[in-house]
Amino acid sequence: MQPNRMLPNRSRTSVLVFLLPPLLLYAAAVLFPILQSLFLSFFSWNGISDMEFVGLDNYVRMFVADDIFWRAFMNALIYLAICLVLQLGGALVVASLLTSLRRGRELIKTLYLLPAVISTVAIAFLFIRIYSLEPVGLLNQLFQWVGLDHLERPWLSDVNTVLAAVSAPEGWRFTGLYMLIIYAALLAVPKELEEAAVLDGASRWTLFTKIRFPYIRPVWITTTIMATTYGLRGFDIPYLMTNGGPGQSSELLTTYMYKAAFTSTDFGYASTISVFIVVECLVAVGLILFVLKRKADS
Amino acid sequence: MITQTAPPTPPAAVLPSRPPVKRRRRRPDLFRTLSRVLIMLIVIVQVYPLAWLFLTSLRTEQDFATGDPFALPSSLTWENYARAFDTGDLGRNILNSFIVTMGANILIVLLGMMAAYAIQVLGFRLSKLVRGLFLIGIIVPVQIALVPLFIDYSAVNLLDTYLSMIIPLAGFSLPMSIYLFCSFYEYIPKETYEAASLDGAGPYRIFGLITMPLSLNTVVTVVLVNSIFIWNDFIFANTFVLSEDLKTIPLGLQNYIGAMGKVDWTATFAAVCVTITPLLLVFLVLNKAMIQGLENGATKG
Repeated sequence: MQPNRMLPNRSRTSVLVFLLPPLLLYAAAVLFPILQSLFLSFFSWNGISDMEFVGLDNYVRMFVADDIFWRAFMNALIYLAICLVLQLGGALVVASLLTSLRRGRELIKTLYLLPAVISTVAIAFLFIRIYSLEPVGLLNQLFQWVGLDHLERPWLSDVNTVLAAVSAPEGWRFTGLYMLIIYAALLAVPKELEEAAVLDGASRWTLFTKIRFPYIRPVWITTTIMATTYGLRGFDIPYLMTNGGPGQSSELLTTYMYKAAFTSTDFGYASTISVFIVVECLVAVGLILFVLKRKADS
Repeated sequence: MITQTAPPTPPAAVLPSRPPVKRRRRRPDLFRTLSRVLIMLIVIVQVYPLAWLFLTSLRTEQDFATGDPFALPSSLTWENYARAFDTGDLGRNILNSFIVTMGANILIVLLGMMAAYAIQVLGFRLSKLVRGLFLIGIIVPVQIALVPLFIDYSAVNLLDTYLSMIIPLAGFSLPMSIYLFCSFYEYIPKETYEAASLDGAGPYRIFGLITMPLSLNTVVTVVLVNSIFIWNDFIFANTFVLSEDLKTIPLGLQNYIGAMGKVDWTATFAAVCVTITPLLLVFLVLNKAMIQGLENGATKG
């Protein structure tokens, strides 16, 4: 009956015994809250008074009347772009370089992964000091030394730099993780393929674009999806470093949703924003699969 | 440390301008040197901030407020650590993080194995659908659960408990765990099960005597990978926990921002160093296993 069934005789109850507990936890923590958010997004509710059905009002307000929402949406996209460049770009470069290294690979992998182990609160503290102007922090000091004094600024209170400044730590934190994954994939590229290409006189660049990258494409798709969904749910570091400020210059959809929920206790509207975030993630994953898979076919 | 940060730029600029004397033989070497310099630079960017954090925690307050941030401390002091332990209840925070991490990991491993066993080994008609249902959890951002869980918790009096953190942390990590166990169970040969079945073992005994013991390596992977995220969780703890007694490390650290936003930075950095240590030690001791786990987890996909 079932091709993938490994045990010849098992009762229906045994399936339920093994499946129900995990399914229950998952439903309570993940599935049910998703449905609940969807439900709440059609209501206006502050948690105390009676819930009031408002139909699509929250969605209309979000898409038409709320400038902050659009600001936060754009910011979130920029935040995502910076994270992706640092994480995937950085990871690909370092992983490729690492394969040409003869010794010390293990040590570099460990050092490179180190920031991923540290809590976001600690990272936020650290970067607040790195960006600070008074007393002068690491970044501004560095600019002084190389003679770019005019670039010195309080990075977190300057509306032009704050968004990049809160995105960079998130990128910095996880490059090591993605580097590891891509590095492992690069190691799996068959040596014979590479050697044959080198014999044919292929340059390093052709070797990379024609042999290595196509070979690691499936892993590249996985890492891109990971980095994108993690980037879209980024919250801790902007929340802790600037809480979206100054003004709304580093507000992301996630921080805006959090404020709507727990500062203004506007549960209905907050749910509407979180439904949007989920849809955004699903669309992003769909787009990645569509674009990267289609390229692979052509 | 200080001397390392400045010079790497000149060599990179000088090397290409040299006359290409023996071009053919030099090129690979040049490439190698360049990539070595580049890797060193990037590693410094990754590691130096953490070294700086540690150095700062040993600085005197005055030295920190006035000195050049790259300079070595003029004198070392452990005073910051004393103040760090006075300001917050670091021991309590570490214990709480430990309880939450343990609790969530037990659920993730046990339930992950069970679900993978049901899906991959026992098999049932809707197994594809169930697997897909679990996959959603990898993509969906955790923030979706904050408002609903906050409401549900207050209805059943679960706010401000260990469980309020453990449930969503375990729930959102479960899909990845199931996925890893499933891809491992695929490789257990069918004959193993058939032999056990012929000996009269039912699905429960087979799970306990064959599948579980074989899964040990995957268990290590799942625990290590998830522990990084659970140990450092900020968002669920920040939303569901209020009382000092239950605060985990990330929340405890926030106490170091004093009234009116005034921060005792050197003591804060000392506290950060203390709280980083447990996970860092585990990571440094087990980093081979952890790195292998991360690599396997993603490349199998």
